[in-house]
Amino acid sequence: MSGVQLWDARPTEPDYAKLGPAPECTSNVYGRSIDLIDLLDNTVPREQSLYINDNPAVGENPDRNKQHAFYFTADNCIGCHACESACAEKNETPSHLAFRSVGYVEGGSYPDFQRMNISMACNHCDDPVCLKGCPTNAYTKHTEYGAVLQDPDTCFGCGYCTWVCPYNAPQLDPVKGQVSKCNMCVDRLEVGLKPACVSACVGNALDFGVVESVPENRSQAKTSIPGFPDPSISQPNIRFQQRNELPDEMTRTDSAPVKYRRSADGDGYQTVLDPKKGQARSWSMGKLYSHENPLVLFTLLTQAAIGLVFIPAIGALLGVNALQQVLSGDAFTFLLVTAFLLSAGGLLMSTVHLGKPMRFYRGFNNLRYSPVSREGLGVAIFMAFAVITALVSLPRNDLLNASLESVAGFSFAFLDGSALTPLLFTTLTLALLGGAAGLFYMIKCYLIPARPFWNHWQTASAFVGNGLSLGALILGAIVLLLNGVAEAMPVMKTLAIVIAIGIALEAAGLLAHRHANRPDAQHEGAASHYVQVTEFGKTYALRNTLMIANFGLAVFVSAGSGTLVLFAWMLLSLSIVCTALLGRALFYVLVIPTTMPGAFFWRNKGFADHAREIGLQKVVDAGLV
Amino acid sequence: MFFGRTKRNPVRIPSKPVVEWKYSTCNYCSTGCAIELGIGSDGKVVTSRGHAEADVNRGKLCIKGILEQELFESPGRGIEPLLRDTTDRPFAAVSWDKALDASAGKIKAIQEKYGRDSFAVVSTGQLLTEEFYTLGKLVRGCIGTNNYDGNTTLCMASAVSGYKRSFGSDGPPGCYEDFEHTECLMAWGSNLPEQHPVLYWRLKEAREKRHFPMIVIDPRVTMFAQWADIHLPITPGTDTVLMNAMLYVIFDEGLEDADYIAKHTNGIEQLRETVKAYDPKIAQRQCGIDEDTIRNVARLYAKAGASMSIWTMGINQSTHGSDGVCNINNLSLVTGNIGKPGGTSLSITGQCNAMGTREWSSCSGLPGYRLLENAEHRQEIAEAWNVDADFFPPKVGLKQTDIFPAIETGQIKGLWLVATNPLTSMANQGRIRKMMEKLDYLIVQDVYQDVETVEYAHAYFPAAVWAEKQGCHTNSERRVNLTRNALDPFAQSKPDFWIFNQMAKRFDNAANMSFPQDTETVFDEMKRLSVGQGRTLDISGMTYDRIEQARGLQWPFTEADAENHQVGSPRLYVDGKFQTPDGRANLIAVNFVNNNEVPDTEYPFWMNSGRVVEHFHTRTRTGKIGNINKFSPTPYMELNPDAAAELGIGHGDYVRTISRRGDAVVMVQLTQRVPPNMVFIPFHYHDCVNRLTLGLLDPYSRQPAFKQCAVRLEKVSQTLAAQLNLQRRAF
Repeated sequence: MSGVQLWDARPTEPDYAKLGPAPECTSNVYGRSIDLIDLLDNTVPREQSLYINDNPAVGENPDRNKQHAFYFTADNCIGCHACESACAEKNETPSHLAFRSVGYVEGGSYPDFQRMNISMACNHCDDPVCLKGCPTNAYTKHTEYGAVLQDPDTCFGCGYCTWVCPYNAPQLDPVKGQVSKCNMCVDRLEVGLKPACVSACVGNALDFGVVESVPENRSQAKTSIPGFPDPSISQPNIRFQQRNELPDEMTRTDSAPVKYRRSADGDGYQTVLDPKKGQARSWSMGKLYSHENPLVLFTLLTQAAIGLVFIPAIGALLGVNALQQVLSGDAFTFLLVTAFLLSAGGLLMSTVHLGKPMRFYRGFNNLRYSPVSREGLGVAIFMAFAVITALVSLPRNDLLNASLESVAGFSFAFLDGSALTPLLFTTLTLALLGGAAGLFYMIKCYLIPARPFWNHWQTASAFVGNGLSLGALILGAIVLLLNGVAEAMPVMKTLAIVIAIGIALEAAGLLAHRHANRPDAQHEGAASHYVQVTEFGKTYALRNTLMIANFGLAVFVSAGSGTLVLFAWMLLSLSIVCTALLGRALFYVLVIPTTMPGAFFWRNKGFADHAREIGLQKVVDAGLV
Repeated sequence: MFFGRTKRNPVRIPSKPVVEWKYSTCNYCSTGCAIELGIGSDGKVVTSRGHAEADVNRGKLCIKGILEQELFESPGRGIEPLLRDTTDRPFAAVSWDKALDASAGKIKAIQEKYGRDSFAVVSTGQLLTEEFYTLGKLVRGCIGTNNYDGNTTLCMASAVSGYKRSFGSDGPPGCYEDFEHTECLMAWGSNLPEQHPVLYWRLKEAREKRHFPMIVIDPRVTMFAQWADIHLPITPGTDTVLMNAMLYVIFDEGLEDADYIAKHTNGIEQLRETVKAYDPKIAQRQCGIDEDTIRNVARLYAKAGASMSIWTMGINQSTHGSDGVCNINNLSLVTGNIGKPGGTSLSITGQCNAMGTREWSSCSGLPGYRLLENAEHRQEIAEAWNVDADFFPPKVGLKQTDIFPAIETGQIKGLWLVATNPLTSMANQGRIRKMMEKLDYLIVQDVYQDVETVEYAHAYFPAAVWAEKQGCHTNSERRVNLTRNALDPFAQSKPDFWIFNQMAKRFDNAANMSFPQDTETVFDEMKRLSVGQGRTLDISGMTYDRIEQARGLQWPFTEADAENHQVGSPRLYVDGKFQTPDGRANLIAVNFVNNNEVPDTEYPFWMNSGRVVEHFHTRTRTGKIGNINKFSPTPYMELNPDAAAELGIGHGDYVRTISRRGDAVVMVQLTQRVPPNMVFIPFHYHDCVNRLTLGLLDPYSRQPAFKQCAVRLEKVSQTLAAQLNLQRRAF
């Protein structure tokens, strides 16, 4: 080792703190090479420095290029918090954050009772979903120890990594507005010492070493235990020993309505619904107001904007007369400008959602992997070409030119509108492509295995459906304002059909979603749905009723006649906006991730909500902000 | 890197440049872990670590020790001395001189008016030994009150009493290394993984190297109980019944060590006679453990090559606490399991320096386990201190749990509390509150000025904490260990040692006495007093440097041991010689009379209490550290879900818990850890469990039975309960 010491190791470090030998095998349980340089076909040199705190020293650890992993003997964990506090001490984490947390599951009946504590940090996965999800490219998986390290100074605090990680490893700090996480104590590893949490364990439960190495006195290297999310999501680098016979059913003490039941074949446990709060239905409207509010607006506004441009374009392509007229008429410029403004408002909202909004430009840093980056780029392209198309369309906009002429004595009519048609076609196509990509990746953002409630085609149907209904609604309003009732009516009647299609699409998705998340479904989606029909039961029913009513109104508008139609349109507009807001807010608040079981106070959302409600965190340090 | 970026991201990990590592011993529990404090260039503590070479903890620490460095600048610390005339007025900040003058004046005035014993002093188990010794010198030699005790009466008095009754003197006879030799371990009323996590690790290490049977006796399914080979979910308060039944089986089946009994004990006949009434067939109905299991455990224990018992508050804090300790000692003695590797009777003490106060504070007599009742002892100390021997009372005064009732009846008018918080820690809080109101003068000396008891104080002395001071602790295995002064005291706070010295100056006797300004000089004085014929508590071979070098030394450690480069004495009574007049241990026959308040139809639940791993005592320290407090920021009770279902109580609900003394609002955690007729409430919280407790006193040790009383549960408005709970967390 050269340079300043990476970690102040004592000459007398105890054996339990020293890293053990690597296993004989060369590949892990998933068939992947444990040697990370071999894995990369030697395209990367060995002997590279990690530059920890800019220190160029290279650790002497002979196994430093092998994938390392935690090893947890679940039979031994006493839930004493030594690992958590050692981590907090070393990493100086404030009380509201924790790179490592201990929760538990328990079962049986007194005195034949068992509690199993689970200590969990980052598992430095083979397939780090955090890294792939992060739009700012703040994550790196290193060839040294296979550590997945995150740089808080790159992060802009969108929190997307906290959504995709099944283990609650990345920690979003609402105070600093950025994420930080377990760094595997690579500084200790470089001098041959196990991480601080492992060295602190007083239950002989937590261990660490090259993946697939089984510590002394241990025989198993299981990839899962009850309460641990499906390892296939990210191939986490953690192995378990769990030999104590557990009760058939293990419950969680935190508020998540989830428990674990021994599977029929007796091998392993499955996540099942635990209806903790009974079946009483309530509104809980206040709880719909969450910190994801900006995303409710971002997604709805952007979908409306994309819908607004797509509806006339597709309609014209399909030869729908009313929509062809829109495309060739004066309304075209206005709808493009409106689409631009809507998506600009949406992007503003998504920026507001960031912990560090001034770093918004970093959102495109990870186009290679991140659906968030791609979504952002798609929407940006859409916006840019929407406004360019609007400019190109100016010469053919009679209404605008007439107004300009009369007000300013100037217009764009001198340009040959028809000569610009190819250009117009090109820019519009680019806007549409951008919009399609934006919407596609917006949907991809939510298809997260660690969030089963979202990980369903209903997300797509809802996003597209809302795009259609909201887009059609706004388009109708534009046409109505520009052309007056009489002229707009045929267009609005056509748009009512589009609205009905949008609602039908969303409803079909919701029906399938309801089935996928039925009470006996074996994932957290069932729990989300349980909360949907109980805690938010009345709100959910209202939203569903509104959707049916909206569909009826849309059909009425498309088929009816007279002034009542106009009134119905107005009512429909109001109702659709309300329905969309309700539906989208529900979408965000209901999701229950596959994260680890919590404890009674710490990592218990129910207690945290209660404590914040009564203001406990203002009186004592309860690890809440 | 290979995945994610082409340009390198910086890797930033908090670095804590340490200029010097200072040696220290943890200031929380009695395990006695050695801690190194890393001092940065600005003189502040930047990090800490368990000492890798200390035999006790071998580099490990528990959550409290790991984050102990955050104590120094935690909120609520006392900034300056405070005074006020009456407790309904606000405090005024004053100089140390003024605070000490006023307080000394009040002490003298009260003593003049009502007699010397009308002013009481109650200290703690958390000062350093030299401070205890100095306080003892001040109280016994200058102030001259006989009503002087420590809060150790709430935690290990029964162990002391039991050791004295059985072995003739105090001092745990075994050591932690016994885990590595024992062939059978019985843990009585001990939740080692939560109470003494590092000690649990020592046990776990020993069991991973060589499995031996572990029997845990606890009404609750703790993690310890869960992993015991045999868990005995005993009926609260009936441990002595189980022990007697085990003795019955041992005698009945001839499993005793007749040779050891004959050579080293007295009282076997009486013991045999007494336990005849505890045939497991009958005993099973009282203690709740079936007769087959009793026999199985008794055989296992008696037949093992070396068997040890450890115990904590499950035994000490009961109406038969002292008896329980004697009976554990009986089990050890009749099977010859004393003073041999792996065969012992080891009390796991609570506070970091409970042993130090037992040895040197003069609470239970005079320093070095000397007795007030012994004229020779009075003379020795009188000469050593240069005090008139007649100044010492011939009989020890009241214990803490009797001092408070004496306040209630007006015999005691003034009180000095040192590092203890009786308003939260004593049983029947409503009654304690009334007692506090009656005091003419109360001095509270504490690290924190927001400690609950300050509400009734006339004077508040801000004390320094832990490594802001220098001196020794003695742990549960008699190991004297050192804390070096690592940093200056916070604000105007002062080491307790300094406060005692300054107070002494204000009393007439002090003029002829010596109160050294340096703790090591005091330690040398203690060493001189530790030498004596047959005295086990011999520390004469120790110096601060030798202690640090050895990372703690176990007494007896004589000058000769030091010269022979010995490492101290891991075990007492190795030769079968005890500190009794004839050198034989006493077998004490124990009869069980159930005087507990047991559940009935009106109050159908047992109320059990205990520790959680993250908190220490009344949370004055741990409640201030966010990364500790967050694991239990508010009180809770464990309640069996089946019982809760009958009452319509849900997980996370608040309930009103009512006893014959008072009520408490507590949040419910449903778990099958507890039986359907029991609630468990951690004792750490103010305005909580001790509003309910009865705290019947053990007749020998005067220790309260905190863990056995009866309560009922009532549903309560959740909104009001939440408000109330919040208000009560102001401390």
